[in-house]
Amino acid sequence: MDKPILEVKNLSVSFNAFSGTVRAVRNIDLELYKGETLVIVGESGSGKSVTTKAILGILPKNGRIDSGEIIYQGEDMAKYKEKDFYNIRGKRISLVFQDPLSALNPIMKIGKQITEALILSGKYDKKSAKKRAIELMEAVGIPKPELRYEQYPFQFSGGMRQRIVIAIALASDPEILICDEPTTALDVTIQSKILELINEMKAKNDLSIIFITHDLGVVANMADRICVMYAGKIVEFGTAEDIFYRPAHPYTWALLSSIPDLDTKEKLFSIPGAPPNMLAPPKGDAFAQRNKYALAIDFEEEPPFFKLSDTHYAATWLLHPDAPKVEMPEILAHRIERMKEANGIVD
Amino acid sequence: MLKYVFERVLAMLVTLAIIVTMGFMVIRLMPGSMFEGNPDMSPEQLAALEAKYHLDKPLLVQYGYFLRDAFTKGDWGTSLKLYPNVPVWEILQTRIPISMYINVYSLLISLPIGVILGIVAAIKKNTWVDYTVSFLVVICISVPSFVFATLMQYFFAFKMEAFPIIYEPTAVGMAKLYSLALPIMALALSPIARVARYLRAELAETINSDFMLLAKTKGLTERQATINHGIRNSLLPLMNIIVPMFTNILGGSLVIETIFAIPGMGGMMVNSINAPDYEVTLAILIFYSIISLSTILLVDISYGIIDPRIRMGGKK
Repeated sequence: MDKPILEVKNLSVSFNAFSGTVRAVRNIDLELYKGETLVIVGESGSGKSVTTKAILGILPKNGRIDSGEIIYQGEDMAKYKEKDFYNIRGKRISLVFQDPLSALNPIMKIGKQITEALILSGKYDKKSAKKRAIELMEAVGIPKPELRYEQYPFQFSGGMRQRIVIAIALASDPEILICDEPTTALDVTIQSKILELINEMKAKNDLSIIFITHDLGVVANMADRICVMYAGKIVEFGTAEDIFYRPAHPYTWALLSSIPDLDTKEKLFSIPGAPPNMLAPPKGDAFAQRNKYALAIDFEEEPPFFKLSDTHYAATWLLHPDAPKVEMPEILAHRIERMKEANGIVD
Repeated sequence: MLKYVFERVLAMLVTLAIIVTMGFMVIRLMPGSMFEGNPDMSPEQLAALEAKYHLDKPLLVQYGYFLRDAFTKGDWGTSLKLYPNVPVWEILQTRIPISMYINVYSLLISLPIGVILGIVAAIKKNTWVDYTVSFLVVICISVPSFVFATLMQYFFAFKMEAFPIIYEPTAVGMAKLYSLALPIMALALSPIARVARYLRAELAETINSDFMLLAKTKGLTERQATINHGIRNSLLPLMNIIVPMFTNILGGSLVIETIFAIPGMGGMMVNSINAPDYEVTLAILIFYSIISLSTILLVDISYGIIDPRIRMGGKK
């Protein structure tokens, strides 16, 4: 494999809150390769958004990077000062937000919001920036872009606004696009259209994408590799096939079991309990409390990564040679069988 | 937009009519009458005077006479006690300019200073800059303007002799501004503090909004994002407090004018109520209502100019 274009090594991020220090991200490693879509999945508060904010240097004021490196273009962005990011943000790495309703300035014309960064960067004058903006709006599927250019965000629907946010993100031809739950605030029919658009833009603009979501079902068709995050740590990572067909971590099992399935009449699975309090991360495996497969050692010591294949790793003591042999839940096993059949995959 | 302005003007006129009606009634319902208690006057003379000015008629009839004179002859009444037989409009004409002079000047200097202080405090939130500004803000809001006026008069005018102690009626141009500098400053302190406090809160919130984050992620520098997105968006709610601020200045002005012996509306208002001189009191009331209502109108309209959501209201 080539060298990754973006590499996160041993990153830890914490927040100072009134009640103490919240350890939002704990020692994670990530690699993004050129042209791939890397999906980070996890429930709310698992640290996925924080990771991307740390990459772009837009952590809130009370947040800080405790340790680790973020290697991009041979430089460690974790050590960047605010002004070092001015050449990165928007120009090399762009971000698409979760909520398009609040991401656009309500009292600024759409056109100006797209062209603003272009003009301020000095590479475009007013006229060429407008031309570029209208091209972009056309590309992201905004009908009548000349007319829409002069309009305000309140005249756009949610899906249209997300298209605008994507257009803004792509304006300066970035290399990496980070999508932070870009479809969560949209309704289901619009979701699939936005995903299609992101895929299309990826192909057209030669993008590498980090896609953050809490819903594995959403990204099944676009993920190349998947990282599963829980309580600020990565618990399993592998190719999309590894994660969907050969999940090994009990948390991944639970996540996959909680995707609605139209082909069965089973009751939808939900993970019992709540994520741990990150003010005081639990000893051992953070998921142990909610895990019916938890072993005694899970409450004592954090599991290391066990290698399943060259691309597939999982952090669970179940994979230790001495651990009792545990099979994934039957429902999930059935489901995976059916998925494999449907997609014509034979092991 | 035109419809919006028209609706606003209409609402303003209705409000004004209500204020005038209520003001008229309340002033005349006050105990005592204009000519009562004058030892030089015989009961017959009193009755004759009251009959002449319709004061012996029921209240509603008096109001009818007032409206008739006001609309048909443009006659808003005549002062009977403070300046016997001078039409109130003429009295106001001599008084309004000087009052407006200090009021408008204090508004004009308080807005930019307040805005700058607010922006600085918001950007430097939770640093010593912010704490200093916030501390001064609390003092300027809680201490009434006449206290500042008196202190300034004592220290700057009396002790340091940097400014005249009282207003010099003969001064013109810059000399006039100079002789009124202390009252203007005393009046401006509280509005400066209000603007600064309000803008600090607004901007601090806007800075944490999603669109500020988007502005940063699309490649704007901190400064560009704050100026292009933060400040304009926080100036909008500021319009809300300009009206109460201006009426606050007008109110403070009544007392300040007395302190600096300025022949403005302030002294006359108190005197006319005490006299009592119904017509003058009512005229002053109408004048202040018109000023406040026009300020509100102005703010409503400028809201429309700044905020497209209001300007285009409903039209999609």
